[in-house]
Amino acid sequence: MVLLTPYPTQSPASMAKGSVLLWRRTYGRLTPILLLLLLSGRPEGTSVGPPGKPRLISCRSPEKETFTCQWEPGSSGGLATQHALYYHTENSEKVFECPDYETAGENSCFFNKTYTSIWVSYNITVVARNALGNSCSDSIDVDVMNIVQPHHPENVTVTLEDGDNPYLQVKWEKPHRVDTRSGWVTLSYELCVKREKDNKSELHFAGQQKHFRIFRPIPGEVYVVKVRCKPDHGYWSEWSSPAFMKVPDYIPREKSMWILMAVFTSFILLILAWALVLKKSSVKHFFLPPVPGPKIKGFDSHLLKKGKSEEIFSVLISQGFPPTSDGEDLLVEYLEVSEGLQQDPAPTALPEAQEQQRDRSPAPIADSGQGSSVHHTLQVKSGEESGTRSVKQTPAFSGPLVTSSSSSQAPKPDGKANTISSSSSSSRPSCVQGTLYVAEVLIEGLPPATEQDRQVTPAGVSPCNSPVDSDYTQDESGLSGNRGTAQRPDVSPSAFKPTEYVEVQNVNQEDRLILRPKAKEDIGDLWQVGLRGQEYSKVSELINNHLLLLERGSTSAGPSYGATEGPVEGRAQQQPAKPTLQQGLNGYVDTGSMLAPY
Amino acid sequence: MFRKLKGPVIFLLMFLDVQVIVGSTPICVHGHTGCQTLSLADLFDRVIQHSARVHGLSSDLHSEYEQYFLPSKNKISKINRNCHTSYILTPNGKENAQRLAGEDLTGVILKLLLAWRDPLSQFHRSMAQHEDFTSFSGNKALEMSDMMHLLGMISNSVRGLISNEALGPQASSSEARPMNDQQLLYCFRRDSNKIQIYLKILKCRIAPEQGC
Repeated sequence: MVLLTPYPTQSPASMAKGSVLLWRRTYGRLTPILLLLLLSGRPEGTSVGPPGKPRLISCRSPEKETFTCQWEPGSSGGLATQHALYYHTENSEKVFECPDYETAGENSCFFNKTYTSIWVSYNITVVARNALGNSCSDSIDVDVMNIVQPHHPENVTVTLEDGDNPYLQVKWEKPHRVDTRSGWVTLSYELCVKREKDNKSELHFAGQQKHFRIFRPIPGEVYVVKVRCKPDHGYWSEWSSPAFMKVPDYIPREKSMWILMAVFTSFILLILAWALVLKKSSVKHFFLPPVPGPKIKGFDSHLLKKGKSEEIFSVLISQGFPPTSDGEDLLVEYLEVSEGLQQDPAPTALPEAQEQQRDRSPAPIADSGQGSSVHHTLQVKSGEESGTRSVKQTPAFSGPLVTSSSSSQAPKPDGKANTISSSSSSSRPSCVQGTLYVAEVLIEGLPPATEQDRQVTPAGVSPCNSPVDSDYTQDESGLSGNRGTAQRPDVSPSAFKPTEYVEVQNVNQEDRLILRPKAKEDIGDLWQVGLRGQEYSKVSELINNHLLLLERGSTSAGPSYGATEGPVEGRAQQQPAKPTLQQGLNGYVDTGSMLAPY
Repeated sequence: MFRKLKGPVIFLLMFLDVQVIVGSTPICVHGHTGCQTLSLADLFDRVIQHSARVHGLSSDLHSEYEQYFLPSKNKISKINRNCHTSYILTPNGKENAQRLAGEDLTGVILKLLLAWRDPLSQFHRSMAQHEDFTSFSGNKALEMSDMMHLLGMISNSVRGLISNEALGPQASSSEARPMNDQQLLYCFRRDSNKIQIYLKILKCRIAPEQGC
């Protein structure tokens, strides 16, 4: 408040007078200005007066041993005001003033340990006092147990722990003045974790421990960590100063391992796929075995696809169906060529006989039945007087009946060599396969010796073909009809080679006999077989051109003669009627020939 | 809101009783046969947890009461803060509490516990009858009565544990000053906090393994 005095009062001292005068002068001019200022500066319109009412902000105890109260002063009222804090405890009316105004700063009161009692209710009031008056604040009741607010935790550190599971280790210390060791104050902590790039922050309650782990830190991120604490029943502290941690860039081991495994697996799969593609056909065969197609000889599926049925069937047919088999139904025929011992009109009558034979030869009966025989006659005409060569050909017993007529060639002036040809007329039917003929060619011109002296030379026989020369030829060098052996007809008996046989191997398509030489052992066997199992008849001579003199011949037995009447062909029917004749013979009798041709 | 009192009172009983029945086997401290042994630290921890819960509940009760029944602030400041347990000399500071011997501190705790048995039951009865509390359900009243019963049983058993000298003078139930509910709640809140702090001091002095 300003006291205005319009007029200076009379002062006894001259100095005082002077100062007053001076005062008056300055203030006289300034006073209205001051008044204006004062009035303008106070929009409330109040003049200077007692101070405004202060306000107690808060009282706080950091460790439950001391506490501090702070107030907000009210308006000063234009004058210097002083504030004073007064308190009294419960149950006592004695008022005490704040012991310490400075420690806690301005407008605060600090109660140290001496003045602090827990579980005691304090009634605190702040009074503002100025020259004109004082003003009291509202009182508050404070119990220290309820106003505990500690300082923030200290020494917050963040470290990165490496390993299989890296994590951030956060450590801190309790606020330095709080006594938790004696159990007086129990603090609980809380973390605030924030990633710098992310605006979201996470709150983690840590309990009473002083460390915390943040698992799975994101590489490359910067983590900001703050910690605060709270007593059991009190207020949260301020956040501590943040701690920063930069997580280095790295790929966690397990991730890299997965990547490695993925690459490896894909590589293996690639190789497998490549191998599969290479072996496509075999894999396909393994999983889907091909359906076997029809196995018909000569069946051409391509032809079937083309759709030409005639070709298919012709192909099927022309393969030689019914199948022929080599070596089956072997017809062993022994062709004997014997030298005529008597002069007989046979040579002259031969052609007739031949013609007769030819004429009479019926259609050659060809059959494949067992037991039928083949007759063959081979006659060799010899124009020489030396002898006739007759080629007797006796078919094997088990061969089909084949008849053939033989044609003789023109006698050569040189009677030595004769070609024995057995020709088959065209009228003759085709040869039956499987007949084996062995021709024995007896060389005439020999002295009438015993049959032992007769030398036979094998002669090839081709009953079916007319020109058979190709198969066998007897050239002048010898009478040999087979390819293999060429026997030189020698007059001397000793020079005669032993009998050699040919075996008809096959009859080819041109009705040619394909012969092969039979080994001696085989021949011997044949003879034996022939003698035992088969009876062969040996034609000794031809009588009257229609009579064959058969002799049963054997290695041991001597010849015996028997006569058969009639041509062989004609005899066919009569043969069964003369069993005795055959039996009596000691020569070769082909029982097969005796049988009726079927 | 008074339902919450049931829990804290039971817990009060628990840390009065040395033998706590857990499941089928009782827990003994000294390792008697047939008992499940707990370490002292564990036992203290249990008790302290219970006391903390008690105090929390009492604080909630008090604040709710003030909010519900006494909206005017002026009334609060003028209430006489004389609790019926004021005669019990309790250390008011850390140094004072640490200066006390363990036995003495334990005696103080027990005294406090005993002193609250009757007022709580009284409060429970008045809560049921008071017309202001008709909004509370009958269940809460029942819980309160159970709590009082348990408290009475334990106080009788605790009487045998300590000598009569340590207990000191006790205020009998007839001499108990009538307290209004608000004051009672306020005093209970304070005393439950005292019990909790004293127990913690005891624990950190006797078994300082963890949490000290």
